[in-house]
Amino acid sequence: MDYKYIIIGGSAGSFQTVTNILSALPQNYKIPIFLCLHRLKHIRAGFVEALSIKSNIKVVEPDDKEFIRQGKAYLAPANYHMYFELGNFIALSTEPVVNHSRPAIDISFASAAYAFKSKLVGIILSGANKDGAYGLSQVKENGGLTIVQDPKECQVKTMTEAAINATDVDYVYSSEKIIEFLIKINKNI
Amino acid sequence: MLITSEDIEKIIITIQNHSPYDFSGYSIKSFTRRIEKATFDFKLSIDEIIKKIKTDEIFTEKLAKGITVNTTELFRDPKVWHTLRYRVLNKFSENRRINIWHAGSSTGQEVYSMLILLNEMGLLEKANVFASDINTDVLEVAKKGVYNYRFNMEYFDNFNKVIRENPFNYDDYLDVPYSKYFNIEKEKDTISIKDFLKRKVVWLKHDLVNQSNIFDTKFDLILCRNVLIYFNNELQEKVIETFYNSLFRKGVLIIGIHESIIGLMANKFNKSGFVYTKKE
Repeated sequence: MDYKYIIIGGSAGSFQTVTNILSALPQNYKIPIFLCLHRLKHIRAGFVEALSIKSNIKVVEPDDKEFIRQGKAYLAPANYHMYFELGNFIALSTEPVVNHSRPAIDISFASAAYAFKSKLVGIILSGANKDGAYGLSQVKENGGLTIVQDPKECQVKTMTEAAINATDVDYVYSSEKIIEFLIKINKNI
Repeated sequence: MLITSEDIEKIIITIQNHSPYDFSGYSIKSFTRRIEKATFDFKLSIDEIIKKIKTDEIFTEKLAKGITVNTTELFRDPKVWHTLRYRVLNKFSENRRINIWHAGSSTGQEVYSMLILLNEMGLLEKANVFASDINTDVLEVAKKGVYNYRFNMEYFDNFNKVIRENPFNYDDYLDVPYSKYFNIEKEKDTISIKDFLKRKVVWLKHDLVNQSNIFDTKFDLILCRNVLIYFNNELQEKVIETFYNSLFRKGVLIIGIHESIIGLMANKFNKSGFVYTKKE
């Protein structure tokens, strides 16, 4: 068990959970975290600042072809898809919306799955559409670990239930258990 | 369908040999995604695509057009336009002329945004505006200047932020009517750009990959947003060099807010966010 990358997807009802996760992780948390979160179309600015307030690790919106470093959380910028290139780079694109979304969780997850294989942990949180279900299946198929937030706990269940239906996921966890797990795997790095 | 890197290499070489296009400097990942999309759109296998590139010029043209990505909107990223208004264009106000090149102008929304802003700043008369794209289909759309109304409500939010509001003083609100620049026909679902703006632009087909400056002039301002992200580092550097050589002294290059110039060319500009000013 040697996980080097974490990717988290969420939509409606996930903001609080993401904030909880980022505030619970210690300042010296090493594993880079990619956040692919839907946001309302007109709220484009201020999201990274809002997430940063309570986060112990640095949250950034990456530039295209930015090198991935430990100890950072990378938030998919509004209105771009976020991809991962072999060679440890992030790539951005303005290709058309997928699942009515840009960034689309399916795109980021499938790309991360292909680039990081068994070194990846994919986590789907609360959300109001089915984006992410395909992406998480790709994480599983490429040997990564799949976690879904317990739908019982989600403000909106659609996204987590779709993910569970599409994939034989490894764990269905409460957000508390997700945090515990993330802290545990960091100790192995 | 699984597309291998050999497939991609074959397609790139075949296109090079049978058309004026060269995609060898494109970022492999995004090129692969576009080819994957083409296999769905044309319902063809990779081998069939390769065969058709060799024999069917019209197909290859269509394929090339489909490979380039066309995303643009009026006043996309209002903070970019605030920067242009208060930190870039204002410096050109004493110029006799302001030459502007929109490279990769797609369907034209960015170009018209610029013209509207110039007009609000009283600089439209001085401006010479050139716009180019590799894809002649999007150039035709740009020339017509007619866009959907229904799915583009954020155009008006953006317009308000850039043209009506003052980011430094929220009490200061200028009620510029939309009808000054657009004919809006809700029943037809269209927003049409007014003629006096359309007349200002010279539209040209231009391929950043293998053409340098074709405009017979240098520029005070070049905008090339969200185009470089589809190129690999070598091609990016080459294109930036074209821009560098096309700028007047102290000319400004604007790239996408999530793009950055890396490598040797970075030293030839003073960078402030996404604003790159040519060093003397």
